[in-house]
Amino acid sequence: MSADSTSTTAPEGQAAADGASLPGGNAIVFDHVSMTFPDGTEGLSDVNLAIAPGEFVSIVGPSGCGKSTLLKVASGLVTHTGGKVWVDRDQLGYTFQDATLLPWRKVQDNVELLMELRDFPAEERRRIAAEKIELVGLTGFENHYPQRLSGGMKMRVSLARSLALNPAVFMFDEPFGALDEITRERLNDEVIDLFVREGFTGIFVTHSIPEAVYMSSKVVVMSRRPGRIQDIFEVPFAYPRAPEMRYQADFSELCGEISLSLRKAIEG
Amino acid sequence: MSDTQIPADTGKHRRANIESHEATPVAPPPSVTRRLVTNLVPPILAGILVILAYAWVRSGLPPHRQFLMPSGTGIWELAFGIPDFVLELLRRSVTTMAIAVTGLGLSISFGCVMGIVMFRFLFLEKAIFPYLVVLQSVPVLAIVPLIQSALGFGFMPKVLIVALFTFFAVPTTLLLGLKSVDRNILNLFKLQNASWWVTLRKACLPFAGPTLFAGFSISGSLAVIAAITSELFFLSGEGGLGQLLMNAKIDFKYEQMYAALIMASVLSIAVYLFFKWLGNRLFSHWHEASGKQQ
Repeated sequence: MSADSTSTTAPEGQAAADGASLPGGNAIVFDHVSMTFPDGTEGLSDVNLAIAPGEFVSIVGPSGCGKSTLLKVASGLVTHTGGKVWVDRDQLGYTFQDATLLPWRKVQDNVELLMELRDFPAEERRRIAAEKIELVGLTGFENHYPQRLSGGMKMRVSLARSLALNPAVFMFDEPFGALDEITRERLNDEVIDLFVREGFTGIFVTHSIPEAVYMSSKVVVMSRRPGRIQDIFEVPFAYPRAPEMRYQADFSELCGEISLSLRKAIEG
Repeated sequence: MSDTQIPADTGKHRRANIESHEATPVAPPPSVTRRLVTNLVPPILAGILVILAYAWVRSGLPPHRQFLMPSGTGIWELAFGIPDFVLELLRRSVTTMAIAVTGLGLSISFGCVMGIVMFRFLFLEKAIFPYLVVLQSVPVLAIVPLIQSALGFGFMPKVLIVALFTFFAVPTTLLLGLKSVDRNILNLFKLQNASWWVTLRKACLPFAGPTLFAGFSISGSLAVIAAITSELFFLSGEGGLGQLLMNAKIDFKYEQMYAALIMASVLSIAVYLFFKWLGNRLFSHWHEASGKQQ
């Protein structure tokens, strides 16, 4: 696994057959990962990051620094151009910046979509969908079309859709950026609830430092493009987290430290 | 916004005009009759205006040229009032519709296949699309004699002409619709390793539906016109409305010609409305524009 950032043959993300084959028992490992786009711009440069199972890691960084690219590389949506990625992509949850629901499908059918693509039997699909719809608090809305739902409700459908596959790793690509503050904070709590209940490994890209601190066990600050890992902050607060935490001194202090690091990242 | 901030001497500034604004009570939803009135009165008024204009132009014609614009009573007495003629009109409508619908069917089936093929293979899109535009810009009327010479006077050459008229809108609107699927929806399918075929069926085709049906409406309203045009060049045998138009001219029966024209418009509108209705039924529950009027 020697680093070779100039290598143009893209190493495939290693789908681990058994959890033991991931280095150090981690859930995700970025090993000297770099990403150069076809037009020559460098998206990521020598990223090294290991995320243990059951961690919730947020990634903050200047806009355009490659935060989303990191998720795309980890999920296999784009292939990196150097280094190695270790992750089990078999049970992967992924939410995009918008809910990406299929507008011609009712809530129920949207939640069943991924199971359909995985050829789950119809009865199992219905049962799991009902369960996940209840989990995100949308029972009663099964037969609504997305156009009649609010932005927050659409996001909940999107979460339920991913949860249906019982993901071991759940990637969030700035999912709540377009929502209002109140809805956003409520969804933060709901995602933490889901994280505590379902026990997935979370990797969460966001612009908001308080959101990152509130949700995560670790906050990663990326440098400006080409993105590298600049700093990693451990968040010492225990789960589940109470909304009052946002107003405590040590919370603000940590936010301040991360802010400072981010400022350095922007200035380079 | 106090008055004192405005220099008094310029005279250009409006003086603050503070008044209370009354609330308006919630308006009751418009009743059915009211909706009917707002939807029906404007087209009826416009129709009456057209009829008046027709009558006015007609009254200005010298008597020996008035046959060009038959009167309403004339059209009734010499065309729609004669049961035999109405039967003939209907029989000929069926003939014309058979040509139109078969040609449209060809366009839609081949057009959809071509749209999907172009979507699948970029090099085929690059290869085919320019020639679609070329085909669309060929004056079909000008190649009708060629089609006639090559294929004779039967049913199929007319169908081919309809297909030439109506083809363009189908693959182009389908391709446009297929290509406008949200990038992240495609990513969603990609993350599950969905095959191209599954992605097409479950994401791209439903998404392209409303756009495709807009294409169908365009093609549909052209199909009847194309069928009638094709008949103008094929006068042998038992023909449709186009042949009736030509016969009426030769026999100097202009009332019958007008009757055929009216029938042709009705058929054209019917095909258009059919696709509108079908599109609404299929898509209005999720696609905003599909549910709207027009």
